Amino acid sequence: MAGGALFRAQCATCHGADGKGILSIDAPDLTLMWGRDGVNDEYVFNVVRDGIPGSIMPPHGFGETEIWMLVAFMASLVEFGGDADFMGDAGNGRRLFAENCAECHRAGEEAGGVLGPSLTGITLRRAPDALVQSIREPSGRIERGFRPVTVETGIGESVTGVLKNEDAFSLQLVTEDQSLRAFHRIGVRQITRLGESLMPVFSEADLDADELADLLAFLHGNQ
Amino acid sequence: MRFAVRLLFSLVPLLAITAFAQDGPTYEDILDGFNDPERWLTYSGDYSGRRHSPLTQINPENVGRLRPIWTFQTGTTTRGRGFETTPLVDDGALYVTGSNNYAWAIDARSGRAFWSYRRNLPDDLTYGASAPVNRGFGMLGNQLFMVTLDAHLLSMDRRTGDILWDVQLADYRIGYAATLAPLVIDNKVIVGISGGEYATRGFIDAYAPVTGERLWRFNTIPGPGEPGSETWPDDPEVLARGGGGTWMNGSYDPELNLIYWGVGNPNPDYFGDLRPGDNLYSNSIVALDADRGDLRWHYQFTPHDINDWDSNHMPVLVDTEWQGEPRKLVMMANRNGFFYVLDRTDGELLLGEPFTATTWAREIGPDGRPVILNDGSRGCLPDPWGSTNFMPPSYNPKLELFYVTARETCATYVPEEPDYTPGQASFGGVVFIEPDGAGALRALDIHTGELRWEFTYPSPTFGGVMTTASGLVFAGDHEGNFMAFDAATGENLWHYQTGSRIWGAAATTFMLDGRQHVLIPSGTTLTAFALPD
Repeated sequence: MAGGALFRAQCATCHGADGKGILSIDAPDLTLMWGRDGVNDEYVFNVVRDGIPGSIMPPHGFGETEIWMLVAFMASLVEFGGDADFMGDAGNGRRLFAENCAECHRAGEEAGGVLGPSLTGITLRRAPDALVQSIREPSGRIERGFRPVTVETGIGESVTGVLKNEDAFSLQLVTEDQSLRAFHRIGVRQITRLGESLMPVFSEADLDADELADLLAFLHGNQ
Repeated sequence: MRFAVRLLFSLVPLLAITAFAQDGPTYEDILDGFNDPERWLTYSGDYSGRRHSPLTQINPENVGRLRPIWTFQTGTTTRGRGFETTPLVDDGALYVTGSNNYAWAIDARSGRAFWSYRRNLPDDLTYGASAPVNRGFGMLGNQLFMVTLDAHLLSMDRRTGDILWDVQLADYRIGYAATLAPLVIDNKVIVGISGGEYATRGFIDAYAPVTGERLWRFNTIPGPGEPGSETWPDDPEVLARGGGGTWMNGSYDPELNLIYWGVGNPNPDYFGDLRPGDNLYSNSIVALDADRGDLRWHYQFTPHDINDWDSNHMPVLVDTEWQGEPRKLVMMANRNGFFYVLDRTDGELLLGEPFTATTWAREIGPDGRPVILNDGSRGCLPDPWGSTNFMPPSYNPKLELFYVTARETCATYVPEEPDYTPGQASFGGVVFIEPDGAGALRALDIHTGELRWEFTYPSPTFGGVMTTASGLVFAGDHEGNFMAFDAATGENLWHYQTGSRIWGAAATTFMLDGRQHVLIPSGTTLTAFALPD
């Protein structure tokens, strides 16, 4: 059985047919695995074979060839489009990152903000096209944990930030000024879930194609 | 030496007292249900499955002052699933099972363990239960009964955790497993089996408490030529791997001497082409004669299921007036999104109404079958975890309200013919689940199925429900909150953040030293609550 068929038969019920995981059962997004410390093909092979003891992730008695096919299939699920060339000028990319991105993002050793996701290793997990898309249209897809909200409190305060977590009684935010702020719902008058990302749109006029290539080259070299 | 002598003397009266209590509960005591407020002797507290305690010390006026008094740490995790047990309570001791077949006897006053037990599980354990969980002990006299992930039934001495006997229910290597809390009735221990995602055939068994001898077995998938086999292809192989797990506890009516038990999905879960027909008794409730295991009646909620909507829910038994007539009822809120009321003497369907926003079906036809509007071709069916699941519901007889944890999800099913490999799951397809589901605690009018009130959660929730006669509903959510509500209005009166999802578990309550205690398992902890002195 090919890796994809095996994945659909044995893995997809928990990890989703697209490998992106199912939050309500704590099944992790497998497309984010690669690029993390210590995660390589051999590590993934071992987890499939041995499971994670004490967890819902069972060991699997597949043959070695089948496990390697599964590993290859999972690697192919990563939105990274293959061994893309990053031909831009990383030095110029670094300058552009500092000017345009660092207020909200980190990348590797580079200092930066925390309102948006860390971009360390992002080129291992997302294809160049997808990254360009996110820069041109940041509201097209906003990942959980970065969705913008405005909270109006009972005493007339209005706070905008990204929603990190919530339950029936409380909300946890990183505010626009990048500090942690939590609210009890009992003291909140209104919660507005904003459709637009807090990230500005970068049009062709803001960053042209060459500049984007430079930026991606910088990000690729800054794992 | 002098010390030893003195110790011996001081122990004598103590031993004499405890020896008296050491006989443990009898069948009559379990039958007595909640009449002894210091006990909780079976999974739901009594045989009815209502999980409704008569205790009133904690009430809507004072529940806001409820405080944790101790926390027990199990040290065994079930990442991705829950601590699903219901502790049994007798004579100041709690009997608790945990993940990975750990178990403990715990002092209910201090939260300290008397003993702990851990089963050595085989290295080649299969995952017929999907997760290494356990829902609790059964108890009779000094014997505890526990099922295992490698599909055994154990009896242990409740004073030591020593194993008294150990019988195999089925072969775990094929994909069988067991997770439920055994149901102890008169001279019988009733258990079911997990493994419906594998090429297995479900059953319900009765064992003799003292010897472990098997007394009867009811197969949930009929054999060739047996009644019900006409709802399957004429193929012994298909029947032998037909699924129909029985992995959640049942309830019992001692007067009718009937056991009520839910049956799980047919196998393969999503690929129905291999098994044309209704596939009895999958996705059904069965009423079995307790002495012989014979089928008295059944009702199938989801004929020819292709969405993994097991009907493994706690059947809730209620005696009340129904349209002017006193009737014996059994109720279930089902994974398929419907709330059902049946006559439990003969299985007549009295009510079937949706309790979630499912587009699968909105009514039950005159033939008792769901009128399917969306077979999935229009997308957005309840996900495979269902509109609710095995987490216990509860019933308040004074208000005649049924409380259930509802899940609003949206999934697309893509079937694919499976390969069959022993010990490997055969789901038969994949499911795409929309990430942004929601949950709610809902109070349903049992006579109409109408929603009386709800409290919404930000995500689809697996926490169970308990109610008390003081007019409280205790529930848990996926974000880790343990909460109390006004049973009549749904007003939230109290909450406590346990730090981990409350998954599959529901609260228990009992009196100890004049104080009402409430217990909830969550993550790796069991926490006890009481009002301040």
